[in-house]
Amino acid sequence: MSIQSDAPVAATKQESRRPAGPTKAQLSEGKRAERNLGLLLCAPAAIIIVLVTAYPIGYAIWLSLQRYDLRFPAEQTFVGLSNYATVLASSYWWQAFGVTMLITVISVVIEFVLGLALALLMHRTLVARGLVRTVILIPYGIVTVVAAFSWQFAWTPDKGYLAALLPDSSAPLTEYGSALAIIIGAEVWKTTPFMALLLLAGLALVPDDLLKAAQVDGAGPWQRLTQIILPMMKPAILVALLFRTLDAFRVFDNIYILTQGSNGTGSVSMLGYDNLFKAFNLGIGSAISVLIFICVALLAILFIKLFGASAPGSEPSGRR
Amino acid sequence: MSEPVHPTSRRARRRPVVVGACAVLAAAAIAGCSSGATGPPVLNFYGPADGATQYSAAAEDCTAASGGRYSVVYQSLPKAADDQRLQLARRLVAGDPEVDILGIDVTWTAEFAAAGWIEKLPDDVAARVRQGTLEGPLQTSTYQGSLWAAPLNTNTQILWYRKDLSPTPPATWDEMIAASERLAQQGLPSYIEVQGAQYEGLVVWFNTLINSAGGQIVDENGRVLLGQGDAAQKALSVMQRVAAAPGSDPSLSVNKENDGRLAMEAGTAAFQINYPFVYASIHTPPPDGGGGGTFIDAQGKPSGTDTGRRVVDEFAWAPYPSVVPGQQARPTIGGINLAVSATGDHRDLAFEAIQCLRNRDNQLRNAVEGGVPPTLADLYSDPAFQAKYPAWEAIKSSLDNASVRPLTPAYTSISIVLSDLLNPPAEIDPETAVPVLVDQVEGAANSEGLVP
Amino acid sequence: MATTTGDPRARVWWGVAGLVVVLYALIPVLWILSLSFKTTDTITDGNFIPRSWTLDNYAQIFSLDIFTSALRNSIGISIIATVLAVVIGTMAAYAIARLDFPGKKILVGVSLLIAMFPQVSLVSPLFDIERAVGLFDTWPGLILPYITFALPLAIYTLSAFFREIPWELEKAAKMDGATPLQAFRSVIVPLAAPGVFTTAILVFIFCWNDFLFAISLTSTQRSQTATVAIANFTGASQFAEPTGSIAAAAVLLTIPIIIFVLLFQRRIVAGLTSGAVKG
Repeated sequence: MSIQSDAPVAATKQESRRPAGPTKAQLSEGKRAERNLGLLLCAPAAIIIVLVTAYPIGYAIWLSLQRYDLRFPAEQTFVGLSNYATVLASSYWWQAFGVTMLITVISVVIEFVLGLALALLMHRTLVARGLVRTVILIPYGIVTVVAAFSWQFAWTPDKGYLAALLPDSSAPLTEYGSALAIIIGAEVWKTTPFMALLLLAGLALVPDDLLKAAQVDGAGPWQRLTQIILPMMKPAILVALLFRTLDAFRVFDNIYILTQGSNGTGSVSMLGYDNLFKAFNLGIGSAISVLIFICVALLAILFIKLFGASAPGSEPSGRR
Repeated sequence: MSEPVHPTSRRARRRPVVVGACAVLAAAAIAGCSSGATGPPVLNFYGPADGATQYSAAAEDCTAASGGRYSVVYQSLPKAADDQRLQLARRLVAGDPEVDILGIDVTWTAEFAAAGWIEKLPDDVAARVRQGTLEGPLQTSTYQGSLWAAPLNTNTQILWYRKDLSPTPPATWDEMIAASERLAQQGLPSYIEVQGAQYEGLVVWFNTLINSAGGQIVDENGRVLLGQGDAAQKALSVMQRVAAAPGSDPSLSVNKENDGRLAMEAGTAAFQINYPFVYASIHTPPPDGGGGGTFIDAQGKPSGTDTGRRVVDEFAWAPYPSVVPGQQARPTIGGINLAVSATGDHRDLAFEAIQCLRNRDNQLRNAVEGGVPPTLADLYSDPAFQAKYPAWEAIKSSLDNASVRPLTPAYTSISIVLSDLLNPPAEIDPETAVPVLVDQVEGAANSEGLVP
Repeated sequence: MATTTGDPRARVWWGVAGLVVVLYALIPVLWILSLSFKTTDTITDGNFIPRSWTLDNYAQIFSLDIFTSALRNSIGISIIATVLAVVIGTMAAYAIARLDFPGKKILVGVSLLIAMFPQVSLVSPLFDIERAVGLFDTWPGLILPYITFALPLAIYTLSAFFREIPWELEKAAKMDGATPLQAFRSVIVPLAAPGVFTTAILVFIFCWNDFLFAISLTSTQRSQTATVAIANFTGASQFAEPTGSIAAAAVLLTIPIIIFVLLFQRRIVAGLTSGAVKG
């Protein structure tokens, strides 16, 4: 589920070449034609976005203010914010929220460290560079459900080669701690390559001359990493962390396959799904949906405010 | 639930939505349509995957018996009950006209009826269905005084045990726990296998125990009675002790029906609370069944060498243990009810077809080949049935004392909440758990709370 | 690129590190591949390498309607969604990269928002809307959300590629009297084709991968995709577990990904990192 967050990195780097666009001196008629073309070309994208996201999210907000359970169709009424009160007062929500935050924080931290190592390896290796770059795309591209099944079978007692390494009668997927660890492991396995590629792109921006100069001045590898490479990669790092954090917060596929959310391993996305499709409670389900949306928005704002991650989207528009 | 139910209000309310953009995708709308060829109307019978062979045979027989007026086609649903419910419900809320007959779990009847997804049985059909059908299964088909489905088969649990380890079967849970502890002290197989995983089976266990102790979770009007009297506390105490006793199965908190069966077949369990399918399984060698061929030594421990004694030789059954000494247990019944979809195009024919699908011959086939007990009372005196079900007397007595799970539309929510709160059973505190259960079950029963 | 000395010891270490990465990436894939070739007797033996091999699992899933139809749905839905998303995305990306018009900032901002958007937030309203308008459990019912969530990816990747294109050619075409639209069609599109192709691969992978929308917005074989079908697989008999079938189906779902990775490794990496790498 990480793919749609990949693109914005394209915008992280200031383009050096300024394309020769139309200049201000051009005729206003040309300007108008350009405007019209621009609007025309963007119209389909805008229409689809409004139809499939803006309208539904508005509808979700409206649903979240209703008592609306498909099993009690006659009882649909407007209930104000009481669904939100119910969700926020429920221990299930906070449990799921805690699990989601835990998965998000731990997996993003591990992914960053592993991803950085992988990026350095891809950047510097002398051996089989092409092979390494090719194989790491497999975890990135593989269907999450498929990977999740691979992990599930690996850890299922009797069946799995990893479970075989454990003492008898241990079923790691049925215990809270070990199940969460496996979920995090599956997330990390799948998304570290993506993190590494984003960091590799940032790494390419660090001038070799600077590193050589530092080496001549006697800076060791660790110093070069912390004093030169990481600071210079900061924009790429922040974007990578921001997008992986928001992505990890939505974790669903892995949990659905690995544990079905049992033993307290459900994420907020699982909670929303279950209330919608097991309880058929569209009111509560929508309230959870909206709360997840708010959480993600808050996370993004927090990131931008705290770490000064620049909103990558603002750049392409400033560029002509 | 005093609101009258209108089976006709089944169509989803149309909401103002901009449909225009869909035209963009008109070219893409090449979804398959199964427009029927000429011939008699086709009735799609959606039923659980377990028993597929018998259900499709019944569908063929009923097609033949209809004399060309309709044909019944069995469509297999997923294996897990949750997935079956999800798939059926999603089709029905979307108004799928290709669902005609539904084989639904007994616990969904009230939900499907209240939501307007299934059609009430017409009076004449209802009268015929009531004829000769066991009382418990009929109760599960009833919602607000009317029959909404026809019981196809039922199911109930009894006690299966090893007669070498326990020459007389325990009559109560207390006796069974004590016996298990004794066996553990002697280093013999001691497990009591029961459904302790976080799923419906755990709720079945709890429902049986609370009913056996004279209580009830929710009555048929949706009132939560869980907190009344001390039945809930007694039930919780049994569950906690079974799970925490020395000699209990360490993986009880993740065990489902199959795990219990496997433990018994492997020789590690002394007692097992389970459905009659375990009998067929232990007598069928792999790969089709589980097989009870595990060797046991003179003491009764599983053995890797040929001792000449096998688990299956010591396999026996007895009535479900009581909670209150001298008071018969009230085992929860399961099974499948046949209902007619409110969205189908041929409902009259479907009502005819469900009567055929549950007739004597088809129920006997389901029982003998599929291992599910029938709902027609007189089949229990049929020699063919008795021969296949040596345990039929215990099963019949379980059915005669049956308890049902709450007959409320919100049952699934109640069940999810209960299975979450009762798992792992070893960590239940019978002294303090009841108020929490009452609180959460009330929220679920009124569809006001969250499900985990 | 940095070059270290050709010290053989360093080469060994880089080789070991590379090997670790290769194992990291491949072991889970090889494991599911191994499971898919195991016989029913040996599938629970926990061996990493099958002790006896069979193709039964593959034969089994291809005999199942539920899988063949799901595969058809997955392929059809992913391809249609990819084509539409890339076409719409190309138009928008060109406008964003090249043209000046009001509302550009908003569009960029909104697509960024969608990139961060939790899909689960859309599931409940889309479910209710789609069942009301009859899109529930249809191809378009899945294609629409796929396009929407693929659009940010398409727009960003494509606008990065577009910035690499020698625009002087477009200017020249305009000077020769071509309208902006003609210039777009006859000059830019051919130049942009590699970028468009790369974007298409990335979008296809996204659609192919989706699970949440597919499981929420479908209910029958009419539109259920392969990811959902796998998750719903049941065993052949009451006592059989569907492990083998799931593994075989999982391998089949992975094949297109492997092909893309092997053939277009450079393009995919470039697509994912385009804006930055080429600085």
